[in-house]
Amino acid sequence: MSDKPRQRVREAGGKHQALGLFADTAMQITRRAFLGLSVTGSALALFGSAVSCSDQPPDSGEGVAGPLSIFPVGGSIRPPGALPEKQFRAKCISCGVCVNVCHVMKYDAVAVAGLKDIRNFGTPQIRDMRDFPCALCMECPGQCPTGALKKTEKEKVSMGMALIDFSLCFGWNGDVCLSCSKACPMGGSIFDFYNGEWGNQPYINDNCVGCGLCVKYCPLGGSAIKVVTKKQYERVKGQYVADSRKLMAMQGEQRYAIVYGQNLPQIMAKGRLVEREYR
Amino acid sequence: MDRTCLRLWQREGSLSVNTVKNNDDSDMATDRLKHSGPEIQAPSSVVRQSSLKLSRLRRFVALGIIMLFLLQFVRIKILVGGLGGSVAVWFVKILDVFAYTESLTASGDFTLAAFGAVVPVLGMYLILGRAFCGWVCPMDFLFEVIGKTGRKPRKTPNISPVWGYAVVGSFLIASGVMGVPVFTNYFSHLTNFFRFLTGTVSFGLGFPVEPEVIVFSGGTIAALLVLEYFFPRFWCRGLCPIGRIYGLFNKVSLLRLAFTEGVCGECSLCDQQCYMGVKIARNIDRSSLRDVNCIYCGRCAEGCATKGKIVSLRFWR
Ligand code: SF4
Ligand code: SF4
Ligand code: SF4
Ligand code: SF4
Repeated sequence: MSDKPRQRVREAGGKHQALGLFADTAMQITRRAFLGLSVTGSALALFGSAVSCSDQPPDSGEGVAGPLSIFPVGGSIRPPGALPEKQFRAKCISCGVCVNVCHVMKYDAVAVAGLKDIRNFGTPQIRDMRDFPCALCMECPGQCPTGALKKTEKEKVSMGMALIDFSLCFGWNGDVCLSCSKACPMGGSIFDFYNGEWGNQPYINDNCVGCGLCVKYCPLGGSAIKVVTKKQYERVKGQYVADSRKLMAMQGEQRYAIVYGQNLPQIMAKGRLVEREYR
Repeated sequence: MDRTCLRLWQREGSLSVNTVKNNDDSDMATDRLKHSGPEIQAPSSVVRQSSLKLSRLRRFVALGIIMLFLLQFVRIKILVGGLGGSVAVWFVKILDVFAYTESLTASGDFTLAAFGAVVPVLGMYLILGRAFCGWVCPMDFLFEVIGKTGRKPRKTPNISPVWGYAVVGSFLIASGVMGVPVFTNYFSHLTNFFRFLTGTVSFGLGFPVEPEVIVFSGGTIAALLVLEYFFPRFWCRGLCPIGRIYGLFNKVSLLRLAFTEGVCGECSLCDQQCYMGVKIARNIDRSSLRDVNCIYCGRCAEGCATKGKIVSLRFWR
């Protein structure tokens, strides 16, 4: 679980060097990769980043960096009001109250974790948010008998953090969509919008509670948004923020190459995966 | 003592001395009966009816509680969760005592909220003792079903309750060390029974369910049933930590096994009826018995040749 995100970052770092725009980010990432990788590998990467600092225009197609392919995987999103993970794990007895309360409320967002992570077996986690986001009805936290979930105000819930994949979001690729912001129960306090020639670009800020409603209502096949745990977010935050800035600052030519060369084909391909959209 | 003879006794519902006479070992019993002859002729049918009711009532309670839990799947919220922990009528939180103990050991964090959830249970079983096992636990019911599958009567090896306390102790230590309520989360039959139900029903309703959850939980229950098939009530008598903890309540509970003096035939029918291995007949001289294995199922009272005149479940006294 801890290994994968880092590996993703590493790969992304490698790609970013081609852009040559934010060399410092690239350097930073490479330095991080340096710690984890074999000496040869990272030396090569450093060499690569040094080379790419020259102003090579990005090619269209394969070589172009899709910003952020860093989405962390793994980790359980807990129902709202969960104690910090260690305490939560120690207290939860897998009684199933939260699972069934959510069923009674007709949201069915909570399911029991399987054996993928044996330590988490039996504990509640939110199902695939593309189909079953938490509606923040706030019924389950008050009813957990062990106190593993604690009564919390809606605004202070911290289940996770929604990250928009800028390479897949319509709003970041020349369109106006904003479905996510309309679905978000917190609305304006969470969404920032950056209007520009490349669309009405939505950005989810740190106030996000991680309920996943935006994930469900994103019209892109398979959703352009993913909710990750706050811990995973801390790990990729630096790069995520930098990438959004980088995209917004990007000049027409470059952005054009990314949008048309890489993102739109991806979006089109994803768009065909409509098995869940309008159920 | 001759078994057919006892049967006869039971069926006839009266303890005529003649019936017992042919039996050589029953001299003492006969003597006793002689002394208290008239009383024994008491209208046994009344008592018998009421004790039969007890057995039926017990099943009714256990199945009724499971039914109430099943209602949660059709979104009727009377009892939600499982017997490990649940919420009754929207706001009363209920927590099994051993589950609470494990959760407390693992987290090392006492909260009033969680404690408030065990209070109703503590209160209930301070009155009722280990009645949970006989009246509520779904395994008691399932085990009885296994018992009716026509397996050959097998002898359960005697197991001292000390083993149960060892199980309790080791799971508590494991929970403390690992920071996870080990028994309740992984192995508890209560958790697994309801986890299995929830998993299967969700799957049936078309929601995504991790298959391991159903397999693991179902497997745990199946393993207990297999154990039951070969060693009846070995689990309940010796190993189950939940029952062990409730057994401690027997020592102080209001409900107890009470004996009325003077009419016992020492036929040991009660002992034969008790599947928890409580030695009733040999304690009959006391006024009551507080055995940690007694689950107040009332089968001894039902089985007693006097139809509950001698052995009975009683509050107070
Ligand atoms: S209600 Fe609480 S103790 Fe029960 S499964 Fe949910 S989080 Fe765990
Ligand atoms: S807050 Fe409501 S919708 Fe969200 S997990 Fe709890 S019960 Fe389900
Ligand atoms: S941004 Fe998405 S995940 Fe975050 S609070 Fe809004 S709807 Fe929920
Ligand atoms: S709903 Fe999806 S595509 Fe639309 S703006 Fe939000 S993230 Fe982008």
